[in-house]
Amino acid sequence: MAARSLRAHLLRLLLPPIAALLALGAVVAYYPSLEPATQAYDQALVDIGLAIGSQVRVTETQYRFELPQAVDQVLRTDRFDRIYYRITSPSGIEIAGDPELPPPPSDEIAHNTVFDGRKVRVVTVQSPCGSSICTVLVGETTLKRERLARDIVLQSLFPELLIALATLVIVWFGVKRGLEPLARLSEEIKSRSAGDLRAIDAAGAPQETRPLVGALNGLLEEVSAASRSQQRFLANAAHQLRTPLAGLQAHTEIALAQPMPEACRTQLEQVHRATIRTGRLANQLLALARTEPAARSATAAVDLKGIAGNEADAWLRQSLTRDIDLGFELDPAPVQGDAFLLREALSNLVHNAIEYSNRGGRVTVRTGRRNGHAFLEVEDDGPGIAPEERERVLERFYRVPGTPGTGSGLGLAIVREIAASHAASLFVAEGAAGGCRVGITFPHG
Amino acid sequence: MRLLIVEDDAPLASGLQRILEAEGHAVDVTARGEEAVAAASHEKFDLVILDIGLPHMDGFEVLRRLRSSASDKSGPTPVLVLTARDAVEDRVRGLDLGADDYMVKPFAMPELTARVRALLRRSQAHGGPRITHGPLTLDTVARRAFLRSEPLELAAREWAVLEVLLAKVEKIVSKEAIIQAVAGWGDDLSPNAIEVYVSRLRSKLEPAGIRIRTVRGFGYMLEEYK
Repeated sequence: MAARSLRAHLLRLLLPPIAALLALGAVVAYYPSLEPATQAYDQALVDIGLAIGSQVRVTETQYRFELPQAVDQVLRTDRFDRIYYRITSPSGIEIAGDPELPPPPSDEIAHNTVFDGRKVRVVTVQSPCGSSICTVLVGETTLKRERLARDIVLQSLFPELLIALATLVIVWFGVKRGLEPLARLSEEIKSRSAGDLRAIDAAGAPQETRPLVGALNGLLEEVSAASRSQQRFLANAAHQLRTPLAGLQAHTEIALAQPMPEACRTQLEQVHRATIRTGRLANQLLALARTEPAARSATAAVDLKGIAGNEADAWLRQSLTRDIDLGFELDPAPVQGDAFLLREALSNLVHNAIEYSNRGGRVTVRTGRRNGHAFLEVEDDGPGIAPEERERVLERFYRVPGTPGTGSGLGLAIVREIAASHAASLFVAEGAAGGCRVGITFPHG
Repeated sequence: MRLLIVEDDAPLASGLQRILEAEGHAVDVTARGEEAVAAASHEKFDLVILDIGLPHMDGFEVLRRLRSSASDKSGPTPVLVLTARDAVEDRVRGLDLGADDYMVKPFAMPELTARVRALLRRSQAHGGPRITHGPLTLDTVARRAFLRSEPLELAAREWAVLEVLLAKVEKIVSKEAIIQAVAGWGDDLSPNAIEVYVSRLRSKLEPAGIRIRTVRGFGYMLEEYK
């Protein structure tokens, strides 16, 4: 369906009644003002008729009417119109003039007719001639009268046209002005991020847009509820997985601590590694679920240095298993954020660095401020990530071909999501010692 | 030591029991919060390992009742909370209610046993005059140290640094934390000075197999004695 312009629609609705009103106004103005004018013109014709009638000479036997050629010429024309006349004797004999000029019906003294191919107004004048009465018909073409009628219509139409024009202009700009609250509303919605599902504030909206705002808010609430319930499901599923995984891990570790045939041990070590990986995956899914907009908890002032400090024990334990020299360069890095997610992001980066560095390698965790931006980063001296792979490693489940270990490929994708949910950016760069330097730069702080 | 495990997941509970029994502890197991509260009111446990996600009475409630019971007031039983949840609020709530440590499932058994040992050590050392770590013994009242029963000469600041590290075996202690703990001893201490004390401690303790690990840029960790 093509979008309908409210303006065009309103104008279409308004134009016919305005046009009808204009026409009606013209008609209403026309007849009352035409009547006296017509009478005045008719009176002028009557006067001419009387003047003509007075020129009829009566003798014993006949009526005579003679005018010099020049006078007749003057009589028959005025500035606009041609004038006709016809004089008949009391007994109906043509005396002079245009014998074909049609008389008005017997009960009227004036009428409109056609003569000589033109529209003509004809009046009847009874003129005394001798002891009797002659009939003088005076006709006049209607140019003057039409001109007058046109002037009357135009004069009455002009102000009405102005009013109509003003109405249309008011509609044109009024619609724009009236729709301004809607424009503001759409601006507000446009400026939102995809995750912003808060209800729209209806306080500033005019009465008429309340239903629209209400409907939008209803939809936002539904989307938000659906997203929350999906997030809850994911979180629940991940939580539910954790307890049996803890049991599985406990028993494989107990079993591995006991003497057993070498073949069994190899198998069991596989089971153990898979168990640990599954546990990590559950954590990662949980983190991913929590980066969903609806699941985000209120942000708070967090110092990245503190987060790194709190996790140092756990990371150190991981690093010892791979004989990694884990070091820290922690300076205060205050940000607004979700402490759980930031810890998860940093843990993922540290885990990757430990996992993919060479045994005995060096991993350094840094927090602080750089060019006015808080940042966190983890640098290693491992094999690094080739420049052409740096974009792809951020995709979910992507792993660089030939990578050892058993990662899910979710780690960096999660870090990226977490960065995005803090309006921060993830960077992947080459480390000073040739390895990899991955981190997040925050917008302020 | 007497330990109580409160965990409704049978495989996990039995796994924990086996590991902790192998460490030489006497371990009771229950799956119900009510039973845990009742058991703790009758007997004195040295440590309770408490799952938060219990049916009926959850772990928070169990913890609250344990902490408000009369017997707990005389000498609080250390509680290690286990949880499948990791919301920050839950962690804070657990610690607010008086949990001593907090572990998110799943976890590695060596980490669990290390934390159990640390908690037991802390509660034994609590108020006690003697701190032991392998062949090392500190008599905090007499301020004398012994290594394999031989008197060990420690300068005042070396003593202070060692005390901080001993309070947190297997945990990283930041240089700032060490400086703060030793700061009462007069002049300003630079991080470099701490390095000097640690290196002196190392030369005295390493021959006996006690190792202090440097965590680059952060601090030190007294490793568990093996």
